[in-house]
Amino acid sequence: MNGVFAQLNAALTGTIEGVLRSVVQVRDTTRGAGAGTIWHSDGLILTNAHVAQRGSLQVALQDGRVLPATVIARDDERDLAALSIDARDLPTIPIGSSRHLHPGQWVMALGHPWGVTNAVTGGILIGVGSNLPELQMPRRDWVVADLHLRPGNSGGPMIDVSGRLIGVNTLMTGPGVGVAVGVDAAKQFLRESLGARAADAVVHAADYV
Amino acid sequence: MSILQDLSNDLAGAVQTASASIVRVEARRRLAATGIAWSADGLVITSNHGVERDENIRVGLPSGETVDATLIGRDPTTDIAVLRTTASLTVPTWVETSAIKVGHLVLALGRPEADVQATLGVVSAVSGEWRTMAGGRVDVYLQTDVVMYPGFSGGPLISAGGQMLGMNSSSLARGVSLTIPAATLKRVAAALAAHGRVRRGYLGVSAQPVRLPAGLASQIGQETGLLLAAVEPDSPAEKSGLLLGDTLYTMAGQPIRQMDDLMAVLSGDRVGQTVTAGVVRGGQTVEVQVAIGERN
Repeated sequence: MNGVFAQLNAALTGTIEGVLRSVVQVRDTTRGAGAGTIWHSDGLILTNAHVAQRGSLQVALQDGRVLPATVIARDDERDLAALSIDARDLPTIPIGSSRHLHPGQWVMALGHPWGVTNAVTGGILIGVGSNLPELQMPRRDWVVADLHLRPGNSGGPMIDVSGRLIGVNTLMTGPGVGVAVGVDAAKQFLRESLGARAADAVVHAADYV
Repeated sequence: MSILQDLSNDLAGAVQTASASIVRVEARRRLAATGIAWSADGLVITSNHGVERDENIRVGLPSGETVDATLIGRDPTTDIAVLRTTASLTVPTWVETSAIKVGHLVLALGRPEADVQATLGVVSAVSGEWRTMAGGRVDVYLQTDVVMYPGFSGGPLISAGGQMLGMNSSSLARGVSLTIPAATLKRVAAALAAHGRVRRGYLGVSAQPVRLPAGLASQIGQETGLLLAAVEPDSPAEKSGLLLGDTLYTMAGQPIRQMDDLMAVLSGDRVGQTVTAGVVRGGQTVEVQVAIGERN
């Protein structure tokens, strides 16, 4: 019998293969590496502010290229940063919404935990919102899931089963709970901080919804 | 749609189905705990350790409304408490734990805030009856690897179909997620509704298992008994004539080989009864009539 489990595995790997092309590694000469997501095909990378500390940054793409990156916007409070690299026609990730998520739905996180590149962890959505227990930091729209995040996952994408970006992996609470900044907060961050160029990028990304 | 999308939708659907019966229990200073609708006329079952105060208890309903609740009773040994509200509740579907197999996907749900939250896991172990550290009898040992997110205690473990399997507690054992099965919830809730507490028999002895002398062991037909290492003054044991140094080997017709055997005999329905105890005293077997008291 071609069991449900086998079908599930095939579907999981299919989704992951589609998304991985848009996952980058963000290297910081002093602090090690985090992850990032290609938001716009002309070289706009979304990551955590704590991954993009000051200093010289490099972005490693899945095609092997390693390019210097510039921080073009950052918001320490939301823990988000936008990087620019000199590249075109990059594979982007479909942008979802963090507002229409349901507790219990399957989600996955991609990144490079402890430097292991392109690792995936999966789980279900615990909840979303700004007033979750033990996460009382203001002004943040959290996406909380029962999956593992480790150093090196930060800045990478959290996705739904269709491979759409729903959050930016940011921190963990307890051993088995991963927390992402909701993608809606990222849209707002880009609109607010990058003006015309980001507006363009956000609209472009919104075409995929 | 892909099977992955189907799975994801089914999980979210199961959460939504169950959430109609899941309430928030505000009865401690810090974070609220979770409760499950127990009867349509307003009873709620929750974890005892989440109910830190006996008064000023509030219950948050799935509708978003918050109502007053009174404490019917609590059983610390199984970590169960029952509350009464005047709300009309949606009672969930409970399923027998006999249908559960190791490896099944299950969800743990909680409502420490307004919305229901969920974590996923697999059933790690299922076996028979066990006793908690505090001595409570739980009908089925059900262990999962679900993450108990803060405020999840008192919430349900549900099947992939959205049916309730039991109530989760993070305080019964450290480091593992255990679920109290529906059978135990029913038994304890009935006792709490009738007496406000779970009655337990009491003797007033401390004891330890010892090997019986070979001759007696073959005569009695068991290898071990319980040596009474202390008998409290004015206790039911002392009043019945049990002595320090007696070795208890049978009670109410049940062989007593170890502590669990004695605990099982001292169940709530034996309170006030007089039963026959068989003891080894001075190398001889003696029968003693023992009146079982109630543990406070």
